Amino acid sequence: MAEALEIAGTAASPGVGLGPVHRATDVTAEVLALPDTVAAERDKLRQAVATALAELQALADRSDEESAGILGFQIEMLLDPALAEMAEDRIVAGDGAALAWIGALDEYIAGIKEAPDEQLRARAVDIVDIRNRVMSALTGRPLDGFAPGSVFVGKDLEPSRFLAHDWTAGGGIVLFEGSVSSHVAMLARGRCVPMVVATGQFEVADGARVLIDANNGRVVVAPDDSHVRQAKPARAEATPIAARRAGGVVETADGVAIRLSAIINDPAELKAVDPASFAGIGLMRTEFLVASPADAVDEQRHYDIYRQALEWAGDAPAIVRMLDLGGEKTLPGMGDRKSESFLGLRGIRLLLARPALARAQVRALLRAAVHGDLGVLLPMVTVPDELDAMRTYFEEERADLFRHGVETRMPEIGMMVEVPAAALMLERFSHSAFFSFGTNDLAQYLMAAARDDQSVAALYDAATSAVLRVIAQGVGHAEAMKKPIGICGEMASDPRHIPALMAAGLRHFSVAPNRVTDIRSTIGGFYSDGRAAAEMK
Amino acid sequence: MDNRSRREAPEAVDTHGYYKAEIEVTHGFGLHARPSVIFTRLAKSFPCSVEIEVNDSHVWLNGKSIVKIMGAKIRRGSMLKIRARGLRAAEAIHALKALVERDFDEAKKHGRSA
Repeated sequence: MAEALEIAGTAASPGVGLGPVHRATDVTAEVLALPDTVAAERDKLRQAVATALAELQALADRSDEESAGILGFQIEMLLDPALAEMAEDRIVAGDGAALAWIGALDEYIAGIKEAPDEQLRARAVDIVDIRNRVMSALTGRPLDGFAPGSVFVGKDLEPSRFLAHDWTAGGGIVLFEGSVSSHVAMLARGRCVPMVVATGQFEVADGARVLIDANNGRVVVAPDDSHVRQAKPARAEATPIAARRAGGVVETADGVAIRLSAIINDPAELKAVDPASFAGIGLMRTEFLVASPADAVDEQRHYDIYRQALEWAGDAPAIVRMLDLGGEKTLPGMGDRKSESFLGLRGIRLLLARPALARAQVRALLRAAVHGDLGVLLPMVTVPDELDAMRTYFEEERADLFRHGVETRMPEIGMMVEVPAAALMLERFSHSAFFSFGTNDLAQYLMAAARDDQSVAALYDAATSAVLRVIAQGVGHAEAMKKPIGICGEMASDPRHIPALMAAGLRHFSVAPNRVTDIRSTIGGFYSDGRAAAEMK
Repeated sequence: MDNRSRREAPEAVDTHGYYKAEIEVTHGFGLHARPSVIFTRLAKSFPCSVEIEVNDSHVWLNGKSIVKIMGAKIRRGSMLKIRARGLRAAEAIHALKALVERDFDEAKKHGRSA
């Protein structure tokens, strides 16, 4: 076993942490595309700045006041056209957007690092943070995330990376340089994350076990038991998941239980909706959480949101649908409508065609699954192979996370039933853990009529009876396979359709939170076969 | 906080139509992140031009640009000249000077303003 190595530094935030090292790599201007025209490169840069701004704003919106204030400084810097103008001078001189940005920002950062005041010098890392975030938007390369519980070891750590990281699993921060007055040190003290700065450069392998004893300003690489005993165990306890009773079960007039789950479109809704009114989350959309391609592959951002959803649901299930892009939902550069139509590369087809996109989300889901009862819904599954291919992604990413010592759990993987071919042949999808009817798309596909096209809207509206017949058949298949089946389309949030949906055999409805009171009272007024209870009296 | 007397000139109009003020930065940390945010936000709220010069450098920087102000590395004890020209220039000078005198309101805890 390797000899323990003790390194002295300066304590920036007290506490003790123990974990595998995440050895940060320094960002350099690598593999940069050849420049296009000056105008095109300038546009690229402006768009990347806008993307970075939107990401920071979103991060600020879900941060506490102090953190938001720190991000507010970065937001002001990015809002200032002077930053882009410095880079644009270099673009005019012939550099591509990324090289120009790195060059201009590095020069500016070097200037700040020469400031006479420690307080001012400490702001350099905030600007490094801005530099990296815009670079990430420019190159599509995600910011370097790291596993919860790790001890971050590097030259410096940027505030937005600190804020995007989950520190509840413990870990800590060791900086070769750094400063006790940096923003990240303030944040670390606020969250009780142990942090030691100014250790000087030292070699340590990624994944090596390290003890950070910030109470005594020291770091021990490959510590033995006596080192660990000496330092007080101070691993932050993860916030316990509040034990909540899962409500949301309603009885029909003849005493059949109907489960009501919530449809969540945005994590912000979780705060406004009372979990006690629902049997968990029946559908959490994720495409609206990703405002940009960079967001879409931001594993940590996904993880944070799924974890919030699971904590909201308590011991009830939370079902998250993987990115359902394409068709009417697009991201710049992903599933653009002109090339990938309503009947083209969308849903799981797009996810399998863009493995980086899918795998980032898969990793976040695997990690989040530890925190509750997670189900994953795959959108627009047409043939069983698609389901199996995605399951393989889950298995491969799980093995990779395991190798890195990250705790995961395999969620239940189910599918949306929205393509008629799948709905009619549901018995072929025995690998699906559960099913959920997506009636908005199912109706469009059954009628070959887009619902956002006014000229054919009447046809879409007429789809109900065909949809109900397909649902009844699908429920039969699912029951034969003993698999749960429910509905998360808009039909389920409309009291007029509830009796027919019950008659078709559905017992699990995912509804928009603002419709739940109506739906609950509607269900109570009918027998489970859809007959009105009042008429029978 | 610091109680040293400040060297300062009253707001005045010079022959080029600028309203000006001169003031010493007494804030403990100089113009680092948060004071710069507060200063430039206030400057941007006026329609006139706002420029600053640090320690008689003869370089006038855009007072609405946080990038330029951070780049100027203004520390405690620096002499700051502020000038403004255009609509509401006198008001802008008065407000910005008062902000520096109040040490950027750092004594009270700041949340984000809108």
